[in-house]
Amino acid sequence: MTASPLFAPLFVEIRKLNRSLAAVLAVAAPSLIAIFVFFNMMRGKAPQPWDMWMVSASGIWAFFMLPMSVTALTALVAHMEHGPRSWDHLRALPLPRWRLYAAKAVCVLAVVALMSAAVLALTWGAVMLAAAIMPHLQPTGPFDLAACASMMGRMFGAALLMIAIQLWVALRYASFVPALAVGIGGTFFSVVATSAKQGVFFPWQMPVNMLAGEAWRVQTALGLGLGLGVAAMVAALVHLSRREVL
Amino acid sequence: MTAAIETRDLTRRFGRQLAADAVSMSVPDRAVYGFLGRNGAGKTTTLKMLLGLIRPSGGTALVGGVDVARDRIGAARKVGALLEAHGFYGNLSGRENLDLTRGLLGLPKREIDRVLEVVEMTEHARRRVCDYSLGMRQRLGLARAMLGAPPVLVLDEPTNGLDPDGIADMRRFLRALPERTGATVLLSSHLLGEIEQTATHVGILSHGRLVLEGELARLKADLAPEIALQTDDAGRATALARARGFDVAPTEDGLVARLKPGEDARTASASLNRALVEADIAVFAIGARSRSLEGIYREVSPPSPAATSVKARPEFA
Repeated sequence: MTASPLFAPLFVEIRKLNRSLAAVLAVAAPSLIAIFVFFNMMRGKAPQPWDMWMVSASGIWAFFMLPMSVTALTALVAHMEHGPRSWDHLRALPLPRWRLYAAKAVCVLAVVALMSAAVLALTWGAVMLAAAIMPHLQPTGPFDLAACASMMGRMFGAALLMIAIQLWVALRYASFVPALAVGIGGTFFSVVATSAKQGVFFPWQMPVNMLAGEAWRVQTALGLGLGLGVAAMVAALVHLSRREVL
Repeated sequence: MTAAIETRDLTRRFGRQLAADAVSMSVPDRAVYGFLGRNGAGKTTTLKMLLGLIRPSGGTALVGGVDVARDRIGAARKVGALLEAHGFYGNLSGRENLDLTRGLLGLPKREIDRVLEVVEMTEHARRRVCDYSLGMRQRLGLARAMLGAPPVLVLDEPTNGLDPDGIADMRRFLRALPERTGATVLLSSHLLGEIEQTATHVGILSHGRLVLEGELARLKADLAPEIALQTDDAGRATALARARGFDVAPTEDGLVARLKPGEDARTASASLNRALVEADIAVFAIGARSRSLEGIYREVSPPSPAATSVKARPEFA
């Protein structure tokens, strides 16, 4: 079967993930959160509400694992081309170059979205498994799937600017170092300045702001993350497809 | 004969450095064109401009009659490339790697079997590329370049890193390519022997300039032969030969006296031999020989002082 020319680069990107480190990361990062929640629950003496476990998992995701995963994922996805120096081959093909970069961007966004869903699903699984092993720890209250999914969706939207910046840097520089430096630096400042009001304007802290109590923080971080994220992604595609790779 | 590739005053500057200096080359249809030059002579820069990977600072490049600067995608449809860096995904098999490019080009699946057969890689196609030898990667690169049967193949140093058997295989394969596929091959290399045994046409690039171009057989025929000689007194022999109008140069094992075009080599070497003996210079060996590509290359492409100070015989094999 031959894919439509518009989507062919996207299908190719998805197939490149087969047996790749990026695919391992996509499974490993959400699993680590679920494993943490499982052992945390097993250490407990008394049952806790569902809500607490899900907020705990999404907090770890937004606070630390999402920015670090985005840093590693974008670096690995870009390195698939930088490592074997395949940009020359790809850019010499009779295709508009922006499609190659757009396919990478869509692929990364899709993987991050799947990882967000996996955090939800695996955490639910971890809680259920712990409750099955120790029935007296069965979580209390209802499991509100819609609210949890909505929270993860908002975190994903607010992370768009951070994803665009990380992908731009990772695709622009053949070395891992700039992408890792930006990602680790961003996560570090996000962690040490958790309570700062200015954090709402900081791309690596925008997803954490989805957990904030004040509505203005949630709305500002989500609006900026989404809006500037789309703008940054478009700017990255234009810049990368026009520049020469020497 | 029409030109599959043509450049006119193709120029590229990197800051103050002139990597390609008004290169005007013409690759005839169905030729195997050897693009020769030392490392850093500007071969890869020129090839990258032909492939639309970098923009020229001046001049034009036509591939299959299409101007690369005006219609990169149209020109790219006419050319398949094997570049120095293979760009394969080691986590995927050879067939999967080809399938990625096939998907991007919108070609039918059977095209993979065709190119694998051409490069004789069908039986290894299901192995992961990370387990391939360098020679197998080169063949896979060639297969990928041939996907869609483009009329022009651009191959950048296709024998780099291959062992002698691999080089011989690649040479045999490249020589047969125009016959088997109807493609024109532009082959860049710094290996003179390689080009001499493979190419029908040659272009020599030196310090960014195309200093010589033409059909290899004609170039060798047009250039006058030379007389190689070994004597017991190179200094006196040189003076005597020069006095008789020869252009003399020292070689590793003696002297070489160049004839004027049209001069009969046997008569000239007999006459020079007689003169040397009469001057009481012992002649150990003397004989006319035709010019090799290496001789032509050395004449038109002298090494830069920096290169000679590092390596007495730069990158010849």
